[in-house]
Amino acid sequence: MAADSEPESEVFEITDFTTASEWERFISRVEEVLNDWKLINISSGKPLQKGVYTTETWEEKSDEIAFADFRFSVTHHYLVQKSSDKNAKDELVEDALPVAMQDLLCMNNDFPPRAHCLVRWYGLREFVVIAPAANNEAVLSESKCNLLLSSVSIALGNTGCQVPVFVQIHQKSRKMYVGECQGPGVRTDFEMVHLRKVPSQYNHLSGLLDIFKSKIGCPLTPLPPINISIRLTYVLQDWQQYFWPQQPPDIDALVGGEVGGLEFGKLPFGACEDPISELHLAAIWPHLTEGIIVDNDVYSDLDPVQAPQWSVRVRKADNPQCLLSDFVTEFFKVCRRKESTDEILGRSAFEEEGKDADISHALLKLTEPAPVPIHKLSVTNMVHTAKKKIRKHRGIDESPLNNEVLNTILMYLFPDAADKSADGSEARTNTSTGSIPPPDNEDSNLYIQFKSAPSDSLTYKLALCLCMINFYHGGVKGVAHLWQEFVLEMRYRWENNFFIPGLTSSAPDLRCCLLHQKLQMLNCCIERKKARDEGKKVINLEKQKETPDRDCPKESDKEKGEVGKSWESWSDSEEEFFECLSDTEELKGNGQEGGKKGIAKEGSKETVALKPEGRLHQHGNLKLLHSGHPLYVPVTQEPAPMTEDLLEEQSEVLAKLGTSAEGAHLRARMQSACLLSDMESFKAANPGCCLEDFVRWYSPRDYIEEETVDEEGGVVIKGELSARMKIPSNMWVEAWETAKPVPARRQRRLFDDTREAEKVLHYLAIQKPADLARHLLPCVIHAAVLKVKEEESLEDIGSVKKIIKLIISHSSKVLRFPNPEDKKIEEIIGQIMSVEATVALARSLKAKFGIEKCNKEEERKDLEKFIHSFLEQPEVSVLGAGRGPAGIIIHKLFVNAQRVASMMPYEEELKRSGSMDEKRLKSGMSSDFPSPAGREVILRTTIPRPAPYSKPLPQRMFSVLTKEDFRLAGAFSSDTTFF
Amino acid sequence: MDEDILTTLKILIIGESGVGKSSLLLRFTDNTFDPELAATIGVDFKVKTISVDGNKAKLAIWDTAGQERFRTLTPSYYRGAQGVILVYDVTRRDTFAKLDNWLTELETYCTRYDIVKMLVGNKIDKENREVDRNEGLKFARKHSMLFIEASAKTCDGVQCAFEELVEKIIQTPGLWESESQNRGVKLSNNEEGYRGACGGYCSVL
Repeated sequence: MAADSEPESEVFEITDFTTASEWERFISRVEEVLNDWKLINISSGKPLQKGVYTTETWEEKSDEIAFADFRFSVTHHYLVQKSSDKNAKDELVEDALPVAMQDLLCMNNDFPPRAHCLVRWYGLREFVVIAPAANNEAVLSESKCNLLLSSVSIALGNTGCQVPVFVQIHQKSRKMYVGECQGPGVRTDFEMVHLRKVPSQYNHLSGLLDIFKSKIGCPLTPLPPINISIRLTYVLQDWQQYFWPQQPPDIDALVGGEVGGLEFGKLPFGACEDPISELHLAAIWPHLTEGIIVDNDVYSDLDPVQAPQWSVRVRKADNPQCLLSDFVTEFFKVCRRKESTDEILGRSAFEEEGKDADISHALLKLTEPAPVPIHKLSVTNMVHTAKKKIRKHRGIDESPLNNEVLNTILMYLFPDAADKSADGSEARTNTSTGSIPPPDNEDSNLYIQFKSAPSDSLTYKLALCLCMINFYHGGVKGVAHLWQEFVLEMRYRWENNFFIPGLTSSAPDLRCCLLHQKLQMLNCCIERKKARDEGKKVINLEKQKETPDRDCPKESDKEKGEVGKSWESWSDSEEEFFECLSDTEELKGNGQEGGKKGIAKEGSKETVALKPEGRLHQHGNLKLLHSGHPLYVPVTQEPAPMTEDLLEEQSEVLAKLGTSAEGAHLRARMQSACLLSDMESFKAANPGCCLEDFVRWYSPRDYIEEETVDEEGGVVIKGELSARMKIPSNMWVEAWETAKPVPARRQRRLFDDTREAEKVLHYLAIQKPADLARHLLPCVIHAAVLKVKEEESLEDIGSVKKIIKLIISHSSKVLRFPNPEDKKIEEIIGQIMSVEATVALARSLKAKFGIEKCNKEEERKDLEKFIHSFLEQPEVSVLGAGRGPAGIIIHKLFVNAQRVASMMPYEEELKRSGSMDEKRLKSGMSSDFPSPAGREVILRTTIPRPAPYSKPLPQRMFSVLTKEDFRLAGAFSSDTTFF
Repeated sequence: MDEDILTTLKILIIGESGVGKSSLLLRFTDNTFDPELAATIGVDFKVKTISVDGNKAKLAIWDTAGQERFRTLTPSYYRGAQGVILVYDVTRRDTFAKLDNWLTELETYCTRYDIVKMLVGNKIDKENREVDRNEGLKFARKHSMLFIEASAKTCDGVQCAFEELVEKIIQTPGLWESESQNRGVKLSNNEEGYRGACGGYCSVL
């Protein structure tokens, strides 16, 4: 403390700290901290504006110091003011009181709705608290308290810090503080009394005034006026006639036939219990002086109805059960389950059925055109029998979903199943037209942001059903069961050429979730297979007419040998054709010629005798260069649809080839299957064509035409291939030479639908419930957000709208990445939960304040505004206090509660509430309100202390009285110069 | 060397056939020009690391075939791209006229809505220009794209085009950060802030 005494002196003076006591060290640590935080300057500031304690932000800084081995935390709490009056603060008034002392008297921020208790008690904008670092520690003995307080006193004196410093004593829960503030020649002591029982003399204002007066011990007569602010708080817990309108949904009703499928597409919403547990009404008299009112042990003028200010706050129920968030939360929990479907359902239904099928249908399998690559899943029998077997095996009682529920869900998911026997394509056109999302509105595009699925798609509906099942029908077991049924249904549809409903008929939409893409992929496979099967039927019919006896399949082997080898290796290894025909006739016709190896190479010289095949339509007026026949666009194979995982794989393969010339070449090769196929189709459609013809269709800019004048003076258009197409042995030329005239339907399939379908089905079958939940979580969150949005729109709450927007942008960031972190998803669910609770709160308030019953337009608007402010502020002041429309309703609520409490007859009460003023006169202190649950009183004055000739200084006492708690918090200033 | 790479970006090059997409790319990656570059089949792929404002970025550039028929194949590779270079040939108006189609296609197949787009008018070394610079500018402004005219043959504007694009991508928040860097929005919750204060429920009760 005397560390820097005369460093320049010639004589070496040794300052010895070796014997410094723990106490001294503690004091110097406190000083250090105050220094570090720059609290030692003279504080100054203007009186605070009204309400800034709630509108501006509070911040805190903490540090830890030790007294011997006892650790204390030091925390600086301060109000951060953004407002611009910073520059005005420099006008320092000499000998001005510290800000804290000015704050003691400031009346602009009494009873802040939300603040640190010291702010509430003393009105401070800035202070430091020293408290035991550990929560369970406490400073109990009086001598220790005094020791700490004197440490603070010394530290403040040494540093000249004007910020009040408090020491927390006793158990932390008691919130007991003592403290001190020092200024030039002045000091304020902060003292506190905390009791469990209220001494009866402090029950009322006059008693408190007595204690305040005796405490300040003012020698002056007459006493300067004492300023009084009072706030009485009344609690309403009993809502009587306002039953919370929403009952938990009846689970059994959902199963019942009439409600049925409809309910499965909807998410529930709302709180199951009243989200409001209490209403607190505070009646405030902000500015009274002694003598204006009387409040003593026998009589009181403090009638809440007469109070000039009312403010209300509601106490929300702790974690009210909210249906929507419960739904989503429970579904999210499924993501963490580890078990596979089989483990959950007890035994492997798939496997056993699979074995049966393998044996009984081995023959069928052999004769199938497509060898099924995934052995285990080659369930080729009809799924209905499989279903029956599973049920038989498990026993109906054991299956997690009963038949009725299951059927309802399946009917909801597959509305076309009712007439499955009807033509599948019909069902498809219906559903596909139905599922085209309405043009560009925000909601319908949400699935892109969330990477979920359109809200009318099968995937989305499935997500909702699983959510419902998980909540009401057997939890994860039910989920596993439904999923198993779903997969069986998928297989059934694949095997029987029934389209899957509720999916847009296109290649997988990469903007949707992977599961949705997989289902779309399966649909593509079904489409191809169906087309193939139908084509086969037609041709078989034709063939039966022509040649009843036919020898079949060996022909294809022959052709296999002839296909250009280098090209072959890039397409599917399975020997399959776009249309699996073994039409010997045609092969005998064309194939014999095609069989001679040379033909393909001399494409341009192919004989016109070849019958053109696979023409789609004529290509404008273009004519073949050599023969002059019209140029036809051929029927071509569609490229393979891809899901994002396949695509990822493929891009990886392509990228792995590297950037070298060979790599690029290989890459082009790998992708040329499609080009080659198109060339072959083109050749088949245009016998006698050449590469120039092909390029004119395929890449018209690579055929350059120039007008030249020939010898006779006529304008002749001469064309030639572009330079790049003429590069010798470039891949286009190479491919052209390899290509044989084969129409698309007899080409090797570019897309092996059988294999892809089996891959998808296998993928579906191995998804565990947890995987499934992860796949569908974006859909569920999507649905939840839509639901919240819909409900909000009924209430129109500004703050909620903002939060919903935030939720959407937040979730679109989180969900678009693969495998989002659990924590982030929990955050999203938490946000949805808070929105739901807020909406429920708004509804509860609406019901309580009878908005629906309010007829006067203006009043109703005011009430609505009033209710909305509850959702944004912790405490709402009531316009017109007890006489405004909201005030009258609140009053009635209390009256009703009181009436029930005292069992008053109804009629009489009605009469009485008709003329409230009259009634009050009659009954004196009315019983409309219960006795206040909390009384807060602030007493303030400025008087010289301790001696009559001392400087007049601010004095303040705050008292709060509740049922089990009585506290006096006094701040008494005294002059340290003249006493 | 790879350690100081800030990020890997996926860039697409699209546009009508024969406008010089592959040539632009070749000029950028290898600084060469080959008048006889074969027409691309499907998609091709090149990598280059560049440094923009001291940030090193590895570019994985996907070059696509422009032919109509390949458009059933190539859009699948649009997925996950952060930037796209849309090329037209200033000497062929038809390649400029088709730009709208390419943008629609991009919108349909691109998985990100905030992808950075750059319009490049190529072949400005040629004499028979058909599309004026101002037309390109106007188009780019209308669709909020970056715009530059370039020539793969003379090297004009090529380097610049790629650098600008990368810079813009890096400046776009949320476009290039990996998930772990991508912090969620924090919703302010006043109530929690005060809980720390004094066990701070502040009502009297």
